[in-house]
Amino acid sequence: MLISVEDITRTYVVGGETVHALRGVSFTLDKGQWVAIVGQSGSGKSTMMNVLGCLDTPSGGRYMLNGQDVSRMSDDQLAGVRNREIGFIFQTFQLLPRETALANVELPLVYRGLRPKERRERARAALDKVGLTPRIHHRPNELSGGQRQRVAIARALVAEPSLLLADEPTGNLDSATGEEIIRLFEQLHHAGHTIILVTHEPKLAARCPRAIRLSDGRIVDDGRGEAVAFGSRREAVG
Amino acid sequence: MSGFLDNMRLALGTFVANPLRSLLTLIGIVIGVATVVSMMALIEGLRLKVNHDLSFLGANTFEVSKWPSGFGRYNWRKYAMRPDLTVEDTEAILERSPSVLRVAAADDEGGQKVSTADAETRPSVFVVGATPTYEETAGITVAQGRFFGEVDEVEGRAVVVLGLDVVDVLFPGQDPLGKEVRIRGRPYRVIGVLQKRGSFLGMVSLDNMALMPLRSFLSVYGMQRSLDISVQATSPELLEKAQAETRTLLRARHKLKPGDADDFDMTTNESMTKSFNQLSQVIAVASFGVCLLSLVVGGIGILNIMLVSVTERTREIGVRKALGARRKRILAQFATEAVVLALVGGAIGVGMGYGLAFLGRWMLGFHTVVPLWAVALSLVMSSGVGLVFGIYPAARAARLDPVEAMRAD
Repeated sequence: MLISVEDITRTYVVGGETVHALRGVSFTLDKGQWVAIVGQSGSGKSTMMNVLGCLDTPSGGRYMLNGQDVSRMSDDQLAGVRNREIGFIFQTFQLLPRETALANVELPLVYRGLRPKERRERARAALDKVGLTPRIHHRPNELSGGQRQRVAIARALVAEPSLLLADEPTGNLDSATGEEIIRLFEQLHHAGHTIILVTHEPKLAARCPRAIRLSDGRIVDDGRGEAVAFGSRREAVG
Repeated sequence: MSGFLDNMRLALGTFVANPLRSLLTLIGIVIGVATVVSMMALIEGLRLKVNHDLSFLGANTFEVSKWPSGFGRYNWRKYAMRPDLTVEDTEAILERSPSVLRVAAADDEGGQKVSTADAETRPSVFVVGATPTYEETAGITVAQGRFFGEVDEVEGRAVVVLGLDVVDVLFPGQDPLGKEVRIRGRPYRVIGVLQKRGSFLGMVSLDNMALMPLRSFLSVYGMQRSLDISVQATSPELLEKAQAETRTLLRARHKLKPGDADDFDMTTNESMTKSFNQLSQVIAVASFGVCLLSLVVGGIGILNIMLVSVTERTREIGVRKALGARRKRILAQFATEAVVLALVGGAIGVGMGYGLAFLGRWMLGFHTVVPLWAVALSLVMSSGVGLVFGIYPAARAARLDPVEAMRAD
């Protein structure tokens, strides 16, 4: 079991009022699985994504990632876990604008403390995997949206993490390019990667073997992607 | 180690990305460092020059005068009450001090005009009246003709030895020997020309002078003058003995009681150097103060620009943290950036300091020497400023929450 989430809660205090973003979420995920987390805005899926990505710690409950209890770790320990275990793919790509594609992909390896030569070799290999070899020396503003997201995916893959965590990866792309990226995810899934995809798009969730629906900070549905995405328990759009 | 190199690369990258902004930020540091480097170069150059110029005095020579020599303020009235030093004092020192080889007496008057029928100098010539032994004690070399001798002195002959500056004005392209010049309306025959001597401390030309026998000088400029007496001991080892003999003799001649302070001043080469060194320390400390002030100004510039930089790159910091950068790593990245920025300023300052020192050499006419320790100190201080003022913005960057930071525009 790669991920085990037990009764996770997360509360924020905003202007004196307590907001319950997660009200007790539990699920498990095995190695090699691909799951979508869906929900309307305000459902708690962003908070879930931050907790799963070790960018945020839960207020209560336990989060085991690859055998480590990450729910009580310090900032710096979490940074180490993120570096080793998680490959992020963001909606807005989050590439460093001043760096080339190659340097962007190298970044996780920089923080792993690898030597420049090895970093470069592995970054080239990762960019090759996403089909961007001819563009490795381009900066993000010289690349199309789809190419940027491929760079981001290469960056997520380069450190060989145990989990790929994608947040609306097609949200900023046109449908044709989005489709290419989804195909890439399918390939990665077949190659054995574990993927969590956070999205509000049912069409996207339907492509995943498994989907979890969050609503008001709780899991309201968990099953085959198609069933969850278009299922009867889907709430009305608020 | 590779982390350090990565940070260096990033820091230089930031500089290259915003060269103008970075340079403007650095003005304070540039000025501070340029001040220190050029002032130290000036002082060091002066020090070497003073040592060189004073070596004319020779290791076995000292001077006695009514006025204290050296630099700094002193109570003028107190010294004015002292008795004048006379030709008789000079003669007594030579006759009664066994350790003394030679004694010269001299006096001078600045701002004099020397003229011929056809030409006239500016009123800036330094006229020196001296006994013939001045040639040895002052280390004077005559390039052409001769220096005045005993007979010239005793008879008070109207003869002069001219410096090259005066010759150039009055006798361009001519042989001045035997010609007549006028000083204070009186005629003098030119009997010699001095070898070119350059300038003292780069400010006063030593060639803009005219030398005449002391007796002739006193008859023009008045007898009531206190002379400067140069005393040469028979050997450098006997310098102190000669000083003691001279002191005893002059005290007796001035009828001082035991316990009274000397009413004259004795200056050796060494004491001149010492008082100069005191002066140069004052200048050094003052320029150091200016430097510190500009460094603080520069540091505030760096603080400001680093805060801007952290704000601008909030997103970048968020991404770096999300990808596994620990706090210390982010702190080091931005601290390195601040230090590199400050060091670039320091380096530009050192360059400008060298430039100013070179300009000083050209304007003042003596070699300025940039001491390496000043360069090292400047660079250490500027990186220190970078670190001190860069640590707060860096700490702010390190504390950023990655989720919040990645959401920034």
